[in-house]
Amino acid sequence: MDEFQEILQDFLVESFELIEQLDQDLVELETRPDDLELLNRIFRVAHTVKGASSFLNFDVLTHLTHHMEDVLNKARHGDLVLNPAIMDVILESIDLMKALLHTIRDTSADAGIDVSACVARLDKCAKGDTDIEVPETTVSAQNKTQEPQEEEVATDDSDEPDYDSMDADELEAEIERLLKQRQEEDKIKREQKATNGTADEAESNADSDAEEYVPVAKTPVVVTPARKPASFGEDSDSSDDARAASPAKKQSNVEQTIRVDVKRLDHLMNLIGELVLAKNRLIKINDDVEERYEGESFLEELNQVVSIVSIVTTDLQIAVMKTRMLPIGKVFNKFPRMIRDLSRELNKKIELEIFGEDTELDKSIVEEIGDPLVHIIRNSCDHGIEIPQIRLEQGKSETGTIKLKAYNEGNQIVIQIDDDGKGLDVDMLKRKSLEKGVITEKEADTMSDKEAFALIFKPGFSTAANVTNVSGRGVGMDVVKTNIEKVNGIIDIDSELGVGTSMKLKIPLTLAIIQALLVGVQEEHYAIPLASVLETVRISKDEVYTVEGRSVMRLREDVLSLVHIGDIFEVERVLDSSEYAYVVVLGLGASKLGLIVDTLVGQEEIVIKSLGEFLKGIEGIAGATIRGDGGVTLIVDVVAIMDMAKHVKTSAIVDSTSDAAMLTREKTKASDYTIMIVDDSKTDRTIMRKALEPLGVTLVEAGDGQEALSILKQGDHSFDAMLVDIEMPRMDGYTLATEIKKYNRYKNLPLIAVTSRTGKSDRMRGVESGMVEYITKPYSGDYLMSVVQRNINFRSEFLK
Amino acid sequence: MSDKLKQIIKKQSQKESGQENVDDVVQLVGFIIGDEEYAVPILSIQEIIKPFPWTRVPQVPKYVIGVFNMRGAVIPLIDLRMKFGLSPKKHNEETRFIVMRDGDDVAGFVIDRLTMAIRIKKSNIGPAPDTASGDDTMIDGVGKREDRIITILKVKKLLLRDF
Repeated sequence: MDEFQEILQDFLVESFELIEQLDQDLVELETRPDDLELLNRIFRVAHTVKGASSFLNFDVLTHLTHHMEDVLNKARHGDLVLNPAIMDVILESIDLMKALLHTIRDTSADAGIDVSACVARLDKCAKGDTDIEVPETTVSAQNKTQEPQEEEVATDDSDEPDYDSMDADELEAEIERLLKQRQEEDKIKREQKATNGTADEAESNADSDAEEYVPVAKTPVVVTPARKPASFGEDSDSSDDARAASPAKKQSNVEQTIRVDVKRLDHLMNLIGELVLAKNRLIKINDDVEERYEGESFLEELNQVVSIVSIVTTDLQIAVMKTRMLPIGKVFNKFPRMIRDLSRELNKKIELEIFGEDTELDKSIVEEIGDPLVHIIRNSCDHGIEIPQIRLEQGKSETGTIKLKAYNEGNQIVIQIDDDGKGLDVDMLKRKSLEKGVITEKEADTMSDKEAFALIFKPGFSTAANVTNVSGRGVGMDVVKTNIEKVNGIIDIDSELGVGTSMKLKIPLTLAIIQALLVGVQEEHYAIPLASVLETVRISKDEVYTVEGRSVMRLREDVLSLVHIGDIFEVERVLDSSEYAYVVVLGLGASKLGLIVDTLVGQEEIVIKSLGEFLKGIEGIAGATIRGDGGVTLIVDVVAIMDMAKHVKTSAIVDSTSDAAMLTREKTKASDYTIMIVDDSKTDRTIMRKALEPLGVTLVEAGDGQEALSILKQGDHSFDAMLVDIEMPRMDGYTLATEIKKYNRYKNLPLIAVTSRTGKSDRMRGVESGMVEYITKPYSGDYLMSVVQRNINFRSEFLK
Repeated sequence: MSDKLKQIIKKQSQKESGQENVDDVVQLVGFIIGDEEYAVPILSIQEIIKPFPWTRVPQVPKYVIGVFNMRGAVIPLIDLRMKFGLSPKKHNEETRFIVMRDGDDVAGFVIDRLTMAIRIKKSNIGPAPDTASGDDTMIDGVGKREDRIITILKVKKLLLRDF
């Protein structure tokens, strides 16, 4: 049973590959009905599927392919001219074949699909034109079948004469046997030839060499890159030969590639993600260690190890990413057939040109972009390309052209869909959107052409005057946009009325690991995908203007609308906003937005993690990542932010005047006053404590600046004053004072320096960092007490 | 020697038969939120950890205080005090995060204090009070101990997103 399953799996994979190729070949065939090579190839596919399925006892499939084979066979030696009507039947039968194969994949049986109607039609096609005796047909078929192979293999005619004495069925079986035998021989011969390196085989040999290095995930499509799209009609004979040989070539290549379950690759990718995080963390630790043990000899060694780990991790990541890459041709392949069907359905003449189908993309993305592309191309056919008469009237060629291109651009893949149709009419788009209430009149007036083009992606928008089967139901283009955005891609439209429309889909190479800009707002950090960051600028507060309740700024020639990241993410303003802020200019297709942040932290490679079921779909958050320090940083969803910015109330960087007032609570007894003593010396702390205890105030002690700051942040106490030593480990008094003054609520907290530093410059620094008093050691207890009393407005009635 | 073996085997079989009664006993972990003691089945707890830093998440109810990193996984953190309508409290020495799991759903919950692992007979567990029954309640049942009662929570319900 297992063996059967194995064979079945191989059969399915092979069949799907063959069929994928078949679709394109058939469409090509329609333009070049006389191409015998093409016909032979198609025939062989039908034949192979038939042979394998009969072996596996899939009777329905065998039945169907058998009849397909009949029709194709006749066409092959000119007994039947392939007209569009016959092509329709053949294409229909191939669809059925696909359906059957899908059923087999899902249920391991081919029951449940009725093929009889199609078979009847196939038969009609086969008999339709002429009534040739069966034996004669098959004999000639036999000859013709051999022809292409004879180019490479010595002819073997020894069995020929027997056929006359056989009846049709026997003959059929015999042919099949012979074909198999010949393919076998073929294969052996080719292998031998490959080692000898005959001139004839040089090309395919080179091909097979190249394929030895094909990454594992690519295996299922080994055949596709070798194929040329319809537009490259005039192939040289030699390349045709190479293509004819491709199935056999593939067999001899089996050793070099392995089919791998995608789940394993996904798992591998996750592990690499973990490794990248660990690497980031290691680098951070290395920096810390470097700082602390500067000049020590082991540092160099550590540095080396860290950089090796870092390099290897990056290489590993790229290598694994590559194994997941598939040529985009896998998606493009279905379009020639689709265009053919559409042009017949719409009575238009449309030609599809494909470029760069070898461009590779991550598997998960390849799967995601199929549907959006179908929508876009359907749209181009339906709305873009005009009907032949109109095209002629406008002086264009009768046949419309749709160009499908894929190419690399930096870290992105660009898929470009160009048509030479009527283009987008900006006024019409605006009018329609107004009618449907998608935009307001004011928006329509101020809208740029690019923004108007983007209207077609709005939900509930459809420009087709007539709703056809193909498009115009108002769903579709907005789905395209959401799907593309799901893979972090963006869409760019350009169009000229009467000349055509060009759409560019820019898609990141991979989903899991991205470059991000880390920004800080108050005490929080956020990661912004670098792909949507156009630039960053530092601005001062007076560069921000308010227009109709919205903050804007001038950026060179443009006016850029601004929004504070803190307003979008409801960040509590605990820190005082500084004089300057940074604006991250986000760009998404045509629209731009300035995002105000407090600090720019830097650029980092981050691994996208989902927030899980519980927190999914939070507006403005695309996911999370784990940083070098082990903390979690949220990733900004730029698309959503752009939308949210429209509804956010402005507050920009107009600072909210300190809310220190809330600190001054009514004091009813001496212990309501709280004072923090910050000193690294236990003795000094005890001296201060002794001096202040008579007041009866609450005293809290901290051993250094760091500790003092974290006690403040916890907010367990509300302090009325702090006594701060200057010389302290980890964080000295000046730094502590500066940090404290950043917080709005501690702006007015009296800081009293208690130190043995007596120099004038020390006093100056104290004042600069916000100290209100400067007590030099040694001091008398009474003096300390009186200074503290003065600064906390200690009420005399509490004195004992 | 064989006698000893037999004895051991006998002991083991006794133990096994003893474990049959275990089916009637539910093992819970008890914890305090506010003034009340709650419990969840021990098997639904993935781990119990001391508090450590987390990251705030915007646009969620107050009781979802953020997300934290548990060995590479990003996990939501829910403050049960706030979820139960109590005022938030500073984390202290006794505060713990209990990470609970139900299928693929995982979340960390902030609790005030752990009490103990509890073995309680099924017969000692009563249904949730009428006022708090139905599908909406988070209460699975009420466990009766000699000196006190413990509210047993539905982990599934705790892990369900309700916003």
